[in-house]
Amino acid sequence: MVPSNGDTAGPSSSQDDPAATMKKRNRPQYHPFTQQQLPACKPILAPQTVVEVVYQYETSCIPGYMLDNEVAYIQNPSIDKTCTRILKVPKDMKHPIYIYYQLDKFYQNHRRYVKSRNDKQLINPKEANNTQYCKPEATEHGSPVVPCGLVAWSLFNDTYSFARGNKELRVHKRGISWRSEREHIFGKQVFPRNFQKGALIGGGTLDPGIPLSEQEDLIVWMRTAALPTFRKLYGRIQVDLRAGELITVTMQNNYNTYSFGGKKALVLSTAGVLGGKNSFLGRGYVIVGLACLLLALLLTMLCLVFPLKEEHLALQYPLPRPAR
Amino acid sequence: MKRFVYINDDSCRYSYCDNRISNTKYTLWNFLPKNLWEQFRRFMNQYFLLIACLQLWSRITPVSPATTWGPLIIIFIVSASKEAWDDYNRYLSDKKANERKIWLVKNGIHRQIKAQEIHVGDVVWLHENDEIPCDLVLIGTSDPQGICYVETAALDGETDLKTRIIPPISANLSVEQLGKVKGVVECPNPDNDIRRFDANMRLFLPIIDNEKCPLTINNTLLQSCYLRYTEWACGVAVYTGNETKSGMSRGAAEPKLTAADAIIDKLTIAIFMFQIVVVLVLGYFGNAWKYTEGLKQWYLMYPVEGEAPWYDFSIIPLRFELLCSIMIPISIKVTLDLAKGVYAKFIDWDEQMFDWETNTPAHSANTAISEDLGQVEYILSDKTGTLTENKMILKRCCISDTSYGNDNGDQLNDVRLVNAISSNDPDVIKFLLVMALCNTVVPIKSNDDTVSYKAQSQDEEALVNAAANLNMMLISKDSSTAEICFNGSKFRYELLDILEFTSDRKRMSVVVKEGQTGKILLLSKGADEALLPRACPGQQIQRYLEAAEMYSQLGLRTLCLGWRDLKESEYKEWSKNFQEASCSLDNREFKIAEVCHSLERDLHILGVTAIEDRLQDGVPETIKLLRNAGINVWMLTGDKQNTAIQIGLLCNLITSEPNSQLLSISGKTEEDILRSLERALLIMKNTSETKDLAFVLDGWALEIILKHSKESFTRLAMLSKTGICCRMTPLQKAQLVAILKSAGYLTLAIGDGGNDVRMIQEANIGVGISGREGLQAARAADYSIGKFKFLKRLILIHGRYSYNRTAFISQYSFYKSLLICFIQIMFAFLSGLSGTSLFNSISLMAYNVFYTSLPVMTIIFDKDISETTVMQYPQILLHSQAGRLLNPATFCGWFGRSLYHALVVFFITISAYSDEKSEMQELSMVALSGCIWLQAFVVTMDTNSFTYPQILLIWGNFVAFYMINLILSAIPSLQLYTIMFRLCSQPSYWISMALTVAVGMGPVVAFRYFKNLYQPSAINILKQIEQSNGSIQTSGNLESARAKLTNLLTGSRKIRDSNYHPLLSDSAESAR
Repeated sequence: MVPSNGDTAGPSSSQDDPAATMKKRNRPQYHPFTQQQLPACKPILAPQTVVEVVYQYETSCIPGYMLDNEVAYIQNPSIDKTCTRILKVPKDMKHPIYIYYQLDKFYQNHRRYVKSRNDKQLINPKEANNTQYCKPEATEHGSPVVPCGLVAWSLFNDTYSFARGNKELRVHKRGISWRSEREHIFGKQVFPRNFQKGALIGGGTLDPGIPLSEQEDLIVWMRTAALPTFRKLYGRIQVDLRAGELITVTMQNNYNTYSFGGKKALVLSTAGVLGGKNSFLGRGYVIVGLACLLLALLLTMLCLVFPLKEEHLALQYPLPRPAR
Repeated sequence: MKRFVYINDDSCRYSYCDNRISNTKYTLWNFLPKNLWEQFRRFMNQYFLLIACLQLWSRITPVSPATTWGPLIIIFIVSASKEAWDDYNRYLSDKKANERKIWLVKNGIHRQIKAQEIHVGDVVWLHENDEIPCDLVLIGTSDPQGICYVETAALDGETDLKTRIIPPISANLSVEQLGKVKGVVECPNPDNDIRRFDANMRLFLPIIDNEKCPLTINNTLLQSCYLRYTEWACGVAVYTGNETKSGMSRGAAEPKLTAADAIIDKLTIAIFMFQIVVVLVLGYFGNAWKYTEGLKQWYLMYPVEGEAPWYDFSIIPLRFELLCSIMIPISIKVTLDLAKGVYAKFIDWDEQMFDWETNTPAHSANTAISEDLGQVEYILSDKTGTLTENKMILKRCCISDTSYGNDNGDQLNDVRLVNAISSNDPDVIKFLLVMALCNTVVPIKSNDDTVSYKAQSQDEEALVNAAANLNMMLISKDSSTAEICFNGSKFRYELLDILEFTSDRKRMSVVVKEGQTGKILLLSKGADEALLPRACPGQQIQRYLEAAEMYSQLGLRTLCLGWRDLKESEYKEWSKNFQEASCSLDNREFKIAEVCHSLERDLHILGVTAIEDRLQDGVPETIKLLRNAGINVWMLTGDKQNTAIQIGLLCNLITSEPNSQLLSISGKTEEDILRSLERALLIMKNTSETKDLAFVLDGWALEIILKHSKESFTRLAMLSKTGICCRMTPLQKAQLVAILKSAGYLTLAIGDGGNDVRMIQEANIGVGISGREGLQAARAADYSIGKFKFLKRLILIHGRYSYNRTAFISQYSFYKSLLICFIQIMFAFLSGLSGTSLFNSISLMAYNVFYTSLPVMTIIFDKDISETTVMQYPQILLHSQAGRLLNPATFCGWFGRSLYHALVVFFITISAYSDEKSEMQELSMVALSGCIWLQAFVVTMDTNSFTYPQILLIWGNFVAFYMINLILSAIPSLQLYTIMFRLCSQPSYWISMALTVAVGMGPVVAFRYFKNLYQPSAINILKQIEQSNGSIQTSGNLESARAKLTNLLTGSRKIRDSNYHPLLSDSAESAR
């Protein structure tokens, strides 16, 4: 008995065949409830695992002869900074697999840094000249920089590409920012101007032909991190990876974390209900639970060793009104 | 400097101000600058203004200046509106006084004008019972002797009438001449001395006497006094408006600061110091980080060395100063003022403090000091009218050798007395005659021919009423004659002289001439010790002494009555002397006393009257309760010692011999008094606590003691729980209050009459009984109640709850400010010590003025133990009295709690929101939510009783927090855009909140539970008793619980500044 959507086809087409009519009349009506076809979610009561691969590359991607002069290496634009490494997938990773870059000792929350932007300029093309708060990255030869400020100027510019065997793994760079940011914070009509044209080049450059609302790397970067160690989304891989597979990563190691001794890492991670791999909450709950248990035991012990004295118990009972 | 006042001369009238009284502090024009200036005199406001100004410098401000300016402006507007409203009310009452109609005489024509239009030099015509509109020099009265009576109670608090006489120079002016008189008064410039007026007056032609005539204070009528028993009087205005004696002495009343306020101020300063230290440390490390680490951070683009301005080093400390400025809660004053306003309203609304008899509700005129009520240590109470009803009734009397009267009935209705009257016993008749005539009572005939009496002294009224009830009725009286109706027949008496009552003479007499026989009689009445020694030799006075002694043992007020026939010649001679003395310029009072003295001798003592002043309803119970609550009660009275002691016994102030000892401080000479003081002090020191010791002293002794041995008396005052001070003048009452205050005790003065005003104003808390002696005391007081018995409710219920609530609100305000500030400081260590604010401006502002100030206000509905329990165990007042709920130690508890909570919130937030979730706005919102969750639970934990407004406000505010932030998250231009939506849909957010609450509150709950179980404070015990009320009772349990309670509460009389208890362990044991 294959359930068919005969409801619509039924009566009209088989008017003159009584047997057929009879047959169809007997047929039970289809309903998801009667047919036990209700939509269901199927929780699996097994720990949800988040698989994470962290690869720290700030030292390993520097050629040996430059190791004692890292800053000079990174500041020299003529050196090719491509760096290829092979990563082994430790466990099965279901897509989507998120690619993050992680920076350490990078104070995106520094007061000087966090203020150095102009949100009006980012959304409104008419406000291009508004470079308030942006100093010292406000203007270039008298004309305003768009997007201005230190935050944009220091845009992260390492790039990654992945390959499994010979086949390239496509990195999806679209949709790594929030839609609300693309629509209401970064303008569709605002195009980069004079960006990284100064004497000092900070970080990455922007394609002047693409509006800010589509420069998702910039959007992600400009959502400042609260802690000096942070991860930011680079892209997604939309295929599953199996345990043991070897992934070839090709990195452009452009970003200067060497002058302040910061670390850089590439992170591949799946995501669970609570986000990425973070055991803090779990541990926290276990510890609190244990503490409660200990406290309960302690109080029980105390009650056994030092039983409540008569006078404490006495207080459970009332006193008559004192004579007035 | 002198001022010359030309009488009735228009040419000089505009050289001095007019009679417009102004008590207002501000005018329309100077309100804003003056009010701002006043407000900025407060340290806290200066601090916030400095912070607000620093915030305008965008280089250093971590958050938008609106976070300080907004609340600051709101606070200023609130305080300014309150001031403006008060001032407007003052303006209205001034206006009423200024527009009062006054009669003026000019060139013989009487005109009615507004009081404010009087100018210096005008002649003002006053009628009986008029309030005197400005300072006048008396030039004429209706009295042929040139005397008029004034009541000066509003000026000096003395209720007896004062006589004022016209200067001799104008003594012979006729009424017509008074209207046209011209002259000049030479007087000093205005001052505030109400006892001195050294001036002289000269009248111009056509008055013959062209000499200078000296004037004294006795020739003046001062503003705000009342003219009494004088048909009319007229005088020349010499000081007007605010330049009058009363105007000059009207200082702005110092605002009273409660003990709790003083502690809060101290804590504020301590926090300020702490803040400075934090700022310096952070500033130092901030600069250090900048030069070691910061310059390496290329993306920060620090300017190259040399380009930085010279003040560069101060930028980071200043930033931290701004960041930490929220440590001192800007909202604390507004929150407390609001809460105090509600406490005051609770007092006004209290149905149980409404006096049905006189239809008066309790009222708190001063809304700012309710929590002091809960910390009262000394109550100084007036006797007459406060403890007693001030309704005098003649209860007993002793005539010749017979004592009449018994305990029953209000009136003197002894059959024997009635019989004696009907049988015309001459002594009894004379006795009644003295009762009816020897007084200053004024009979008032109403329309239906019944007579009622108006008297300055309640005793006289009682005597006249009693005489009337015994058929000796005073029907009418004017200045020269009195008419008596006895058994239906009328008798006329000519009133020749009145020898007035003074507190020195303690007696008064009248000289009358019998209308029919022409016999001249002296009728006297007075205190027994003043009259009996003046009895004629040979009369047996022993009997009366005993009677007087017996009556005062019963708590009755006694008066002796005396009588003497005067010979015509003797009277004439005396009368001349008396006239002379009355007119003498210097030492008049003494001379009059001398003359009176010479007449009042060889008296035939008629008998003794005993007047009962009934105790007010509920006084003994109230005093007992207050004493149980650990409050020392003193009685200050103008009455004499015996009566005072008897009243003291009746109202539980002192107990009889075996349990207590009364130490009398008295003596004939100064040395005697000082010796008896030392002896009393010695006994006090060496007696165990269980025995009640009280001291008794009178006004004279006090005067000497204050002159010679103030320190010993202060020590005595601190040791003795009870004191009875009799024969006190208003000033001495105030001095006693001042002594206790200067020893650091919190005093409450309660009284009903004008003579208590000074004491009421001097005390920390003044309570007035809106009683029979008028409303003066009630008007000057901070609180007014209808009956003394309401005092227990005022102190034990309102005072105690107010203190508890203020203690919580103030410390909580610091807690929540410190909480958020600590988080900012911790975040500083993760943001390169650069002074970044974790929270955005909107959140910071809303946190202080909205999210956290509403739930805490719910504490004004909180009651830790019920009213009945407090009344049953008044000892519990000790907790608030000793300041156990608000002191540096409890504050340390709150400080520690906020530090712990800040650590919890901060570490859970940064650990749960690390790595890819570590985004500034999200993290800030998570931390803020953590604070909101914790503070909601903290308020809940510290609430003892949940009423619906509390539940509604605490959790409604919680819901409101989410609503507001969700709404803010929908506005794209805000930094908060979409953040709250994102967070609310993340399970990890909610899980973090739950963890924050569990870790933050868990230890607090566990600790409290443990404490309640093993080391309960008295309040905990009472709570438990309250909970289990109504079940089984066993005497054994009762005993042990009682013992425990007593243990906790007694024996720990406050040792100043030493026994502060840590938070959560407010039992007395830990301190001992």
